[in-house]
Amino acid sequence: MASSIPADTTAADPATTTPDGSAGRPGERLLRGALRHSAGRVVAVFWFTTASAAVGLALPAVLGRTLDVLLADPHGAEARRWVLASAGLTCLLVVLDALDSLLTGTANARSIAWLRRRLLRHTLSAGTRAGRRTAAGDLVTRLVGNAAQAGTAPTALASALAAVITPVGGLVALALIDPWLALAFVLGLPLLAVLLRSFVRDTTDSVARYQHSQGEIAGRLVEALGGARTIAAAGTGGRERARVLAPLPELSRQGHRMWRVQGRSAAWAAAIVPLLQIAVVAVAGLRLTAGELSVGSLLAAARYAVLATGIGMLVGHLNGLVRSRTAARRFAPVLAEPATAYGTRSLPPGDGTLELRGARAVRGGREVLCGVDLVVPGGRCLAVVGRSGSGKSTLAAIAGRLADPDGGEVLLDGVPLPELTHDALRRAIGYAFERPALLGGTIGGTIALGPAPSPPGRVVEAARAACADDFVRLLPDGYETPVADAPLSGGETQRLGLARAFAHEGRVLILDDATSSLDTVTELRVTRALAGRLLGARPRTRVIVAHRAATAARADLVVWLEDGRVRAAGRHAELWALDGYRAVFAAPDVPDGPDVPDGPDVSDGPDVPERPNVLDVPDAFDEPNRSEAPQADGGVQGG
Amino acid sequence: MAESAPDKKGGRIGARGARPGPYAEGIRFLRERRRVLWRLAAWSVLESGQTFLSGYALARALDDGFLAGDRGIGLAWLGLAALAVALGAYGTGRVYRAMAALVEPLRDALVRRVVTHAVGGAGGGRTEGGGAGGGTTAVSRLTHQVEIARDTFAGLVMVSRSFVFVAAGALVGLFSLAPVLLLVVLPPLVLGLALFLATLRPMARRQEAFLEADENIAETLGAVASGLRDITAAGAEEPVGADAGGRIDTEYRAARALARWGVVRVVAIGVGGRLPVVLLLVAAPWLLGRGVTTGALVGALAYLQQSLLPALQSLMQALGTGGSRLAVVVRRLAGTAPDGGGAGPALAPGPAVPDGTVARPTSPAVELRAVTFAYGDRAAPVVEGLGLDVPAGGHLAVVGPSGIGKSTLAGLIAGLLEPRSGEVRVCGEPVRGSGAVRAAALRVLIPQEAYVFSGTLADNLRYLCPQAGPGARTDAELAAAAEAVGLDVLLSRIGGPYADVDPGALSAGERQLIALARAYLSPAPVVLLDEATCHLDPAAEARAERAFARRPGTTLIVIAHRVSSARRAERVLVMDGRQTVCGRHAELLERSPLYRDLAGSWGGPGDSGHLLGAGASDPALAPRDADGVHPVARPGLPGDGGHVVAYGPVGQMQAAGDLGDRGAFGGQ
Repeated sequence: MASSIPADTTAADPATTTPDGSAGRPGERLLRGALRHSAGRVVAVFWFTTASAAVGLALPAVLGRTLDVLLADPHGAEARRWVLASAGLTCLLVVLDALDSLLTGTANARSIAWLRRRLLRHTLSAGTRAGRRTAAGDLVTRLVGNAAQAGTAPTALASALAAVITPVGGLVALALIDPWLALAFVLGLPLLAVLLRSFVRDTTDSVARYQHSQGEIAGRLVEALGGARTIAAAGTGGRERARVLAPLPELSRQGHRMWRVQGRSAAWAAAIVPLLQIAVVAVAGLRLTAGELSVGSLLAAARYAVLATGIGMLVGHLNGLVRSRTAARRFAPVLAEPATAYGTRSLPPGDGTLELRGARAVRGGREVLCGVDLVVPGGRCLAVVGRSGSGKSTLAAIAGRLADPDGGEVLLDGVPLPELTHDALRRAIGYAFERPALLGGTIGGTIALGPAPSPPGRVVEAARAACADDFVRLLPDGYETPVADAPLSGGETQRLGLARAFAHEGRVLILDDATSSLDTVTELRVTRALAGRLLGARPRTRVIVAHRAATAARADLVVWLEDGRVRAAGRHAELWALDGYRAVFAAPDVPDGPDVPDGPDVSDGPDVPERPNVLDVPDAFDEPNRSEAPQADGGVQGG
Repeated sequence: MAESAPDKKGGRIGARGARPGPYAEGIRFLRERRRVLWRLAAWSVLESGQTFLSGYALARALDDGFLAGDRGIGLAWLGLAALAVALGAYGTGRVYRAMAALVEPLRDALVRRVVTHAVGGAGGGRTEGGGAGGGTTAVSRLTHQVEIARDTFAGLVMVSRSFVFVAAGALVGLFSLAPVLLLVVLPPLVLGLALFLATLRPMARRQEAFLEADENIAETLGAVASGLRDITAAGAEEPVGADAGGRIDTEYRAARALARWGVVRVVAIGVGGRLPVVLLLVAAPWLLGRGVTTGALVGALAYLQQSLLPALQSLMQALGTGGSRLAVVVRRLAGTAPDGGGAGPALAPGPAVPDGTVARPTSPAVELRAVTFAYGDRAAPVVEGLGLDVPAGGHLAVVGPSGIGKSTLAGLIAGLLEPRSGEVRVCGEPVRGSGAVRAAALRVLIPQEAYVFSGTLADNLRYLCPQAGPGARTDAELAAAAEAVGLDVLLSRIGGPYADVDPGALSAGERQLIALARAYLSPAPVVLLDEATCHLDPAAEARAERAFARRPGTTLIVIAHRVSSARRAERVLVMDGRQTVCGRHAELLERSPLYRDLAGSWGGPGDSGHLLGAGASDPALAPRDADGVHPVARPGLPGDGGHVVAYGPVGQMQAAGDLGDRGAFGGQ
């Protein structure tokens, strides 16, 4: 079922499969897709808005004519006909507006939902790579805010003609009634605009100061919240409150200033339309006295002058369209990552042997893995160590196909990972991370997260294995506690992530620094559970990215990465003789430094054997391209 | 997103008292600002004048001027209308100032409330980490939601005020032109308004449903976006996509429902704003027959089309969406009780200023009697039936795996948490209830997250000291404290006690040193260090702990981050779920397997079977002290000598070693 997601996306949305590099194109194509999706409604919106604009334009003329006829012969049949026509047009206008409002609302909702579903599906199928170009928060903005903006594009486009018709029609109508009226309007508009512009004050300064004060309060609040426990214990809440609120008077002062400045600008800006209207009416009055114009026409002219000022609204409408398109363009980086394609094979019986053949990975133009070859025999534990930036996490990601290698391949029990179906792959390989994201709503749900949810019994069992059961039971609703309601420490979060990995049967477990926040005892318990027959299954193959020497010491094999290459491989005890290897664990960026046991003093010197012990590891590491992987030579001496 | 999550932590601990609803509070707020409202009304009258003249002047300009052939009079009347426009604009400017006097105090009140709630309601939770989430919520409230409330409230007041005064101007104008006009105009206007008001409530509900659905989407997609790696790794694209898709569908349905209600609004505008025009034309023969002039008719039509219709449209737009927005935001902000939600300890609002009282020698410095605590009615207890005595001058270390409840114990002793049953006393004073304030003055708790605020170092260090009196500290004492805990290097680096500290520029360890020096200077005799040294290196930690051990009259309880802390203590309390054991280091090594594990003895031959590839000769496992720091010789503490006693009710604890000397309480 899950494997159908990417297939569906690729089939239905050509934009996602052919990223042609030109910025914006995929986004606009998606927008066209949204337009097609709501084509019927959009066409209807076009007709209703256009018709409504036309009726709105005709109405003042009809009303004016009705007035003239009524004034001439109040009780005549013609007057009755014109009154009826006015009533009919007014009703029509209301009906058209209602339909327009309904259809625009539903069509927007439909387009927005369609866009979001599309983007969501694509994002999910692109997986980690979707987040590589776009930070998570930014991704949400695109899926939520930008989709909402872009989703109004179809109806904005449909009502564009109406937006043009109204002001232009108003001006034309003025000219038709009397050219002098149009002239008065055309001359008056810029004159007034220039005149009133001089009153407009720049609010930028007060806004900036306002935001500064606001930021200061927020900063102090964040500080105080960081010390919440200290403050609660010291009972200094009142003092802290006063300290945080100290910039409030300044905020208030700037707020008042903003209102004053805005008031001056807004007031004069609001005077434009009535003054223009009065100017047009004055000219109309003069023409009336001259006998060139009827009373009804004067009434109509007053209305048309207002409609003609809608030219500002036209600009707004165009801005809206541009914003929608810009928003749609922001989808491009999301869509640029192609959906992950899965194969059709299922796994043959096997013990979970994991093999990397010449695995290369490039991140940001830099090669972070340079042809790594290794074999992890089924059921064994491989520790991956190295300084930060040495490619450990990339190796972990590639080993379970969170990302595809840029060269080489990864096989599980002889099957290249891309040939496996989605479910076969994800069921076989489980992951736990340093900072797991807890999805799934509740604590139980987050452990059960998978292609199909794990049964509750298994969830508890997994939690127990990950040493999470104890603290979960302390939560208000145990496993039913919503994740958002549970204040979890880093270590607790990690244990839930481990439980999630344990809860699903599989052949391989990849732990990317997944025990870094655990205390040593808990880590020991978890690794014991890992090594044992986890939840009744046979021991899984384990790949553990580790910072602690103790973790590496417990592994069957250790691979030491440096600059994307295997610098040495072997047992921890054997590698420990190398200065460089010991230095990896002494690095200052090692979390929980004190938990890393110090090694015995080994005198540093050049007397370290070449390629120490690597060859002693029986059938563990397959290094067919030794000549391309000069890890041992320079490495050992350089340490 | 974060802001949409109400402060759940506050809700979890302690029930909130009844408060007046946002509506009643709003009324009270406005009633307190009657004068501003009057000013607002007074300046709005100018707007009414403009509206009034827009029709009346037109009618007179036609009747007396243009239609009568007198251009001058016609232009004069129109000039008067233009003048009224200018005056109205001036009035609008003044209205903005009056708005400031109405809206800014509201914003101030909301900011105060958010800050009070955040500062008072945080803390005392199960873990320190909870503060981060609460922080983003509070900041979002402060910068985002308060501003939405401010802007929406201002918009609502502006628009409804505008409608009232424009309608008043137009209706007075109609009455002045010919009272009979009102007969035609008023009924449909009232009908339209009634229709709108009747649908306001159901429409507001739809609007709120939509806003809620929108926030749910943002929250869900936020979780998805930040959890893509985990979703892929777990192969959970399908269920996660289905869940998020469901939320998108919910919002779609809510938006559609909202759009359908929008039709009612259009109809209400049609009835209230457009129908009067038609009725005026229908009634024109009759009106003209009753002496209504041509100008009056045109003026009336102008009122309807140019004033009432736009005002009605703005009103319905603003009330329809803005009202619900404001209601939602205010309700959310109202969830932050001005009194702090009762989550904090029952302490006096002011700083608890210790008066330097020394503990009464007769009672233990800290005593727990059968204390049971759980984070919820249905949750398993973290601490059950725990009893503990720490004599004055004693030194106890608490160890155990993370998450086992060590910080909870510290919170209980500090009185931050209320036990479900049992009693906690510090120097004989109950930490909750009547003795809380006195007890608070007798202990100082330094948590893992050291609190350093922007200000001078001296301010930070004297945070827990009274300004004057026996507890006040001189600069020399500050320097001595800094020297004792190891803050001296930082002190001289930043330039003495009166230099400003920027908390962000300090390392976590430096912040902890400041907090430690602060605790050292506090007059409180009981010091609780809750992993307060976790960011220090072992040597610095040892120095700080020794400083407290030497501090006169001090009872020290250390929630240990490293086993070396336990070795320095006289007694160690090992927490491991229900299995709580207390004893000396050497005894515990024998009796508690957990303590053995914790103490770094787990590399022994007995375990090697579990540790594949980790032989006894493995260099990484060779050091028996996980810290790599040699145990520090136990300092000679005052009152040393087997006074640290833990006991527990039957079955709750493994008796360890010398517990028997307190037979009355001893576990069996």
